[in-house]
Amino acid sequence: MIRKTLDRKISRRKFLGTSAASGAALAATGTGLSRVSFAAGHTIKIGFLAPLTGPVSAWGKPGLDGCLIWADWVNAKGGVKIGGKSYRIEFVGYDNEYDAGKAKTGATKLIKEDGVKFIMMLGGDPWPGVEKIAAREGMLFSTLLPSDLSPDTKTLVAPCEVHPIYNVTGVEWLAENKKNLKTAAICAQDDSLGKPSVATYLAAFEAAGIEMVDKPLFFDPATTDFAPVMTKLLAKKPDILCLDTCYADYVHPLCEQAFQQGYKGQIISCTADFYQKIIEKTSKDFMEGFVFQFPDFDDPALNAKEVNFVNPNEFYAEYAKRYGAKEWSAVSWEYASIMDLWADAAAKAGSADPGPVLKAMKAGGTGKHAFGDAKWWGKELFGIDNALVGNWPVVAIEGGKARIKAFKSIPAWWDKHSKLMIKHTTALGQMWNQR
Amino acid sequence: MDLLWQTAINAMYAASYMALIAVGLVMIFGVMGVINFAHGELYMVGAYCVVFLYAQEKFPFLLSVAAGLIFVGAVGLLMERALFRPLRENPLGGLIASIGFLLILQTLAVFGFGRRMGHVPPATQGKIEIFGAILTYQRLFVIVAAILLLAALWAFLKRSKFGWALRACAQDAEAASLQGISMNQTARIAMFIGAGLAGVAGALTAPLVSPTPYIGHSIIVTAFIIIIVGGIGSLEGAVIAAVLYAFVHTFVTTFFDGVIANIVGLALMLAVLVVRPTGLFGARERA
Repeated sequence: MIRKTLDRKISRRKFLGTSAASGAALAATGTGLSRVSFAAGHTIKIGFLAPLTGPVSAWGKPGLDGCLIWADWVNAKGGVKIGGKSYRIEFVGYDNEYDAGKAKTGATKLIKEDGVKFIMMLGGDPWPGVEKIAAREGMLFSTLLPSDLSPDTKTLVAPCEVHPIYNVTGVEWLAENKKNLKTAAICAQDDSLGKPSVATYLAAFEAAGIEMVDKPLFFDPATTDFAPVMTKLLAKKPDILCLDTCYADYVHPLCEQAFQQGYKGQIISCTADFYQKIIEKTSKDFMEGFVFQFPDFDDPALNAKEVNFVNPNEFYAEYAKRYGAKEWSAVSWEYASIMDLWADAAAKAGSADPGPVLKAMKAGGTGKHAFGDAKWWGKELFGIDNALVGNWPVVAIEGGKARIKAFKSIPAWWDKHSKLMIKHTTALGQMWNQR
Repeated sequence: MDLLWQTAINAMYAASYMALIAVGLVMIFGVMGVINFAHGELYMVGAYCVVFLYAQEKFPFLLSVAAGLIFVGAVGLLMERALFRPLRENPLGGLIASIGFLLILQTLAVFGFGRRMGHVPPATQGKIEIFGAILTYQRLFVIVAAILLLAALWAFLKRSKFGWALRACAQDAEAASLQGISMNQTARIAMFIGAGLAGVAGALTAPLVSPTPYIGHSIIVTAFIIIIVGGIGSLEGAVIAAVLYAFVHTFVTTFFDGVIANIVGLALMLAVLVVRPTGLFGARERA
C-alpha cells in the first residue's frame, strides 16, 4: 500500500483521503497476520467511506479506529467463517470529507478498484452522491443516518444508529425524571443532519408536554462565533437548552457560550463527544446532569445480558489504550457493531456477496442490535423497513463522567407518538418523499 | 434591554477580530497588489500557535499570543520573499500562489495537530456585567487588543517614515520607487504587519473558537465581504466595514436567524457595490 501510494503523484486531496486508508490497511495487516495465517486470497475487504477530515470527522475517524480494533480481534480469532472457510477482514478507508462528489469518487474506487464487499458510511450530505452507484452495483451500504433511507435505497441499511429518532428517549427520560422542566429552546446547524433531528426533538418535546419558547434557530455550518446564537437561545430563559445533533465543533463552543452567558439550566444534546474537554472549558458543576445519547463503553450498564455488543468494557479499554480515552466519540463503537451484524449475516448466508448478506441480515424481520434485540422498521417514516430499531440508552454526566441512566424503547415511543413525529418531520420537509 | 446590550457586546467582539483580519488583508493588497487567499490560514496558524504554546506547552497566554503575532508575521515574510516578490508583476500569479500556500498551511496543520478541533482552555473565566449583559475577560482581551493594535498601526502609518513609505507605495508604487522608497522593504513591512494582524486575531480568539485546520475558509469569506464593503485598499474603510458587518450580522443572527444573517451580510455587500462600486471608502482614501 505504501509503495502504491508513493508511486503516484499525490495531490493534497488524494493524500489526505488515502492516508487513512493506508494507515487502516497497515494496521490491520500488521496485527492480524502475526498471529493467524489465512489461505491466499482469503481476505474480504470492507469499505469505510466517511469524513476522516474536516468538521464532521469526529463522526468518521473514531469509527475507523474502532473498526481496526474489531478487525484485529476478529482476525486474531481466525477471521470470519463464511461457507466453511475463514476470511481475514481488511478495512479500506476513503475520506469523503462529508461531500457528495468525493463520496461518489470514493464509492466508485472502493467498488471497482478495491473490490470491497460492503461499504459503511456516516451518511447525510454525501449519500446523494452514492445513491445511484449503490443501486446500479447492488452494493450493500450502511448509514448511521436513516434519514438517507427511501423506498429506492434497497441496498442501504441503518443497522446501528437510528438517528435521529433515538433522541426521543432522552427527552422522554427528562420528562419522567425532571418534571419541573417546562420549556425548551433548540438550535442546529442548517443541514441534512440538523433538520431531521430538530423535527425529532420538536415531536419529543410536544409529546412530553414541554413547550418551545421560540422557533428552532438554524445557524450556518460555517459559524465560528456562537455568542449571538447563544444569546438568542437564552433570551426567553428556557428551562432546557437543546443542542440537537450539532457537530462536536459546535457543541463545545455552544456549551462554553452558555456557561459564559450564565446559563444554569438543563442541557440536552444528541452527542457530547470529547465531553471532558467541555468540562475543562466550563466546569464540572455546569456540566452536571447534561443529558445525551452516547455512553462511554466502560459503563457497567453495558454488561447487561440484553446488550449484544461483544465485550464493550474491553473494547473501550483497548480504544483508550490505543487512541486515548479523550478521543472516544459517539461513533467509536458504532461501525464496529455494524460489522458484528455483517459478519453474523455473512456467516448465515455462506457468502460475503451483498445480496445474500442483506437477505440474511433482515431474515425474520428482527436483528441483534448493539443495545438489544430489535426489529427492522421504518416504512412509515422512511418508506422502507431498513432501519434496525430497539432500545437506546439515555446518558447523563455525573461527577464529570458519562453514565447510562436508562435504556428506553424507541418502538414504544413511536407506537404512542408517531403522528407527532410525522407532523414535525413533514413541516421541516424531511420526510423521505420531500427530500 | 439585557438582550440588546448582550448583542451589542457580542457585536463589538466580532467587530474587533474581524477588523484585525480585514485590515491585515487590506495592508497586503494596498501595498503589494496581491489578494492573499491564504489570509484565513494565517489566522488559523495564529490560533494553532496558542494551541501549541498555551494549551500544550503551558506557556502564559499573552506570551503565546505575542509569539503567534511574531511567528505568523514571519510566515508573512516567507510568503513575500518566496511567493509574492517573484510574482510582483503578475497579481493573478500571486493570487494563485496564495491559494497553493493555503493548502500547504492546512496540510501542515493536519500533520502537526490532527484533523479535529484544537482544544484551548480559557485563559480566564472571569467576566464583568454591563447593564445586565456579560462580557468575559477573554472577549475583553480581544476588544482591547484590537483597539490598541489598530491605534498603534494608525500612529505607525501616520507618524513614522516607514508608515509614510507604506502609504506612498499604496498610492503609487512607481512614483514611490522613483523617490527612493524600496519596494522590497515596504512589501516586507506590509506583509509582516498584515500577516501578524491575522495571526494575532487567531491567537486571541483561539480559546473562544474551536481551531481546526479548515477554520480559515469561513474567515476569509467574511474578510473579503468586509474589504469590499469598506473599499479595497482602504484601512479606514476596513475598520468601519468590520464594525458595520459585525453589528448587522450579530443583530440579525440574534433577532432573526444565523442563515438570514449571512444573506443580509451579502446583501449589504451588494447594496454597497450598487451604490458605490468602489466601496464605502475605496475611491477617496487609500492606505
